[in-house]
Amino acid sequence: MDFNPCMKHKMVRKTVREFAETELGPIAYEIDREARFPWEVIEKMRELNFFGLQVPKEYGGADMDSISYAITIEELSRVCAAIGLCVTVHNGVGTYPIVRFGTTEQKNRFLPKLASGESIGAFCLTEANAGSDAGSVETHAMLDGDEYVINGTKIFVTNGGVCGCPLIFALTNPKNPGRSASVFIVEKDTPGFSVGEIEDLCGMRANPVSSLFLEDCRVPAKNLLGRPGDGLKIGLTALDTGRIGIAAQALGIAQAAFEASVKYSKERQQFKKPISSFQTIQNYLADMATQIDAARLLAYRACAIKDAGKSFGAESSMAKLYCSGVASQVTNLAVEIHGAYGYSKEYDVERYFRDAKVTEIYEGTNEIQRMIISRAVLTKPT
Amino acid sequence: MLKLVVCIKQVPMVTELPWDSQTSTLRRELSEGMMNPACKHALEAGLRLKQKHGTHITAITMGPAMAEEVLYEATSMGADRGVLLTDPRMAGADTLVTSFTMARAIEKVCPDFDLVLCGCHSTDSETAQVGPQLAEELDVPSAAYVEHLELNGRRLRIQRLSDNFLETLEFNLPGLITISTQHYLPRYIPLKGLQDAFGQADIITIDADNLSLDPEIIGIKGSPTKILDICSPSAGKKNIVMKGAAKKIVEELFERFDDKIGAAIGKDLKVDE
Repeated sequence: MDFNPCMKHKMVRKTVREFAETELGPIAYEIDREARFPWEVIEKMRELNFFGLQVPKEYGGADMDSISYAITIEELSRVCAAIGLCVTVHNGVGTYPIVRFGTTEQKNRFLPKLASGESIGAFCLTEANAGSDAGSVETHAMLDGDEYVINGTKIFVTNGGVCGCPLIFALTNPKNPGRSASVFIVEKDTPGFSVGEIEDLCGMRANPVSSLFLEDCRVPAKNLLGRPGDGLKIGLTALDTGRIGIAAQALGIAQAAFEASVKYSKERQQFKKPISSFQTIQNYLADMATQIDAARLLAYRACAIKDAGKSFGAESSMAKLYCSGVASQVTNLAVEIHGAYGYSKEYDVERYFRDAKVTEIYEGTNEIQRMIISRAVLTKPT
Repeated sequence: MLKLVVCIKQVPMVTELPWDSQTSTLRRELSEGMMNPACKHALEAGLRLKQKHGTHITAITMGPAMAEEVLYEATSMGADRGVLLTDPRMAGADTLVTSFTMARAIEKVCPDFDLVLCGCHSTDSETAQVGPQLAEELDVPSAAYVEHLELNGRRLRIQRLSDNFLETLEFNLPGLITISTQHYLPRYIPLKGLQDAFGQADIITIDADNLSLDPEIIGIKGSPTKILDICSPSAGKKNIVMKGAAKKIVEELFERFDDKIGAAIGKDLKVDE
């Protein structure tokens, strides 16, 4: 067991950090404030393979290992969590299911566009009456000749406003929802497909989260991913991977809040001393550092298990559960350390605090993560 | 195909400079390294020549084993192969011995080189001597602080800023140039390049024995330069509050601090008046 990062992982961190600090650092405040998706930076990210992180090289991807993937998301999110979110959702749940379950024809047709970032991916499960309860999806896809006709509305779709070929969950037989959940690759210019208003959210504001509408949207049958009824299997596999990305994202936010707190506590003087000289602040910083370290180890362990080809569902849930909780606690303490300045938009910790909360909610709420973990624990032979 | 050699150096990150007071040298093995910024500009100049003329690039570095990292960085950016020149007996070399050793290594790994590119100086010692000395060792024409270069067949035309005017020079290859940090802004490393470099990069390691070098004439033993003392310049912060009407205090500010402001912005304020 070696806890030292290897040279490659150190270089991935250095490379992504340099890019994020140079390109996203100067605009992170503004794009959050204006809820603007920074296409000018996305253009640069396309050329550097940020959109094909784990896509095989023959389709134009970087084919990275999972720890490199997590470090990439962590470092992007340390500077701008909304763009870290765009990249992890695109790669983890928007593209990976095609890599894993797509036919050769689907891979040839969609992966080069996704890997180059020409098309941004999204994963559309949540509906007004379905989220944690994936079985209650109401969107349906009825076979008509060699096409499926899809009707339904997806909500809170990350990357929704900019996606090119989202993966849509729909029932192919609404009378048998348990066995007919299926996944379709829908291209944005398909008649009947439209994008709703961009949501006005608390955090991750630079990510265009929106609703997607499908009204008699006719999709070729060859766009069905896997077989009819494979939806839950595909969805759960995608979410296992996606949770590693959210864990990494939460880590990046926590790391940024921690670094800001260390810096501020050394500068801020009260009672003629830097506040870092007070034991209360020292205790806060010690707790933050310990939690972040523990969270990082859990996240990287999930990556290592995934790359070893073993089942990693419970481990990725543990990583997501713990890292997101740490992000919320650490950003809360960061605001505390900054006092009133931490509550002001003048300091970045206010943004970190808002961004952290949703990591406990999306890609499976933390209540769902506990269900997954406890199921794994209770079904293990004793 | 033209053969380029880009000399790159791993330097410590500016935040960490572990110094060995016994030998007055930097303990490179203890510091977090990075590619010297000027070397990165030199590599970028080489990569642009490669894009235009299809050249082959060998990146070479001399340093401890950890310096291999900059070779991976170079191959991630687009260099074709890397050469690590490492040997404990080479440690502590001054610029003269470094140039001598590097020259012998280049003759060994790329004897038919066409152009050697170096950074104009390094951030850890700032001597700017290795490039020109290396040209002497290799017995090729050279130009330092190059800002622009253009290749026409085997004729190299370069421009460099000399005092306040731009000088244009030409020479036939083979040759050596050092690149300034004004232009050739280095590209970001593509993640695919990085993955490829760690999967299949052609990186070799050579030592003094491979070059048949006498240990007595390399490293600290062979170096005529002896560092007698190293000291850090003292620096401090001071808050000064200036009170009064804006026009008056701005005048006073410039009167009292024009030399310091000029140094900070790199411009002589008095000349502009």
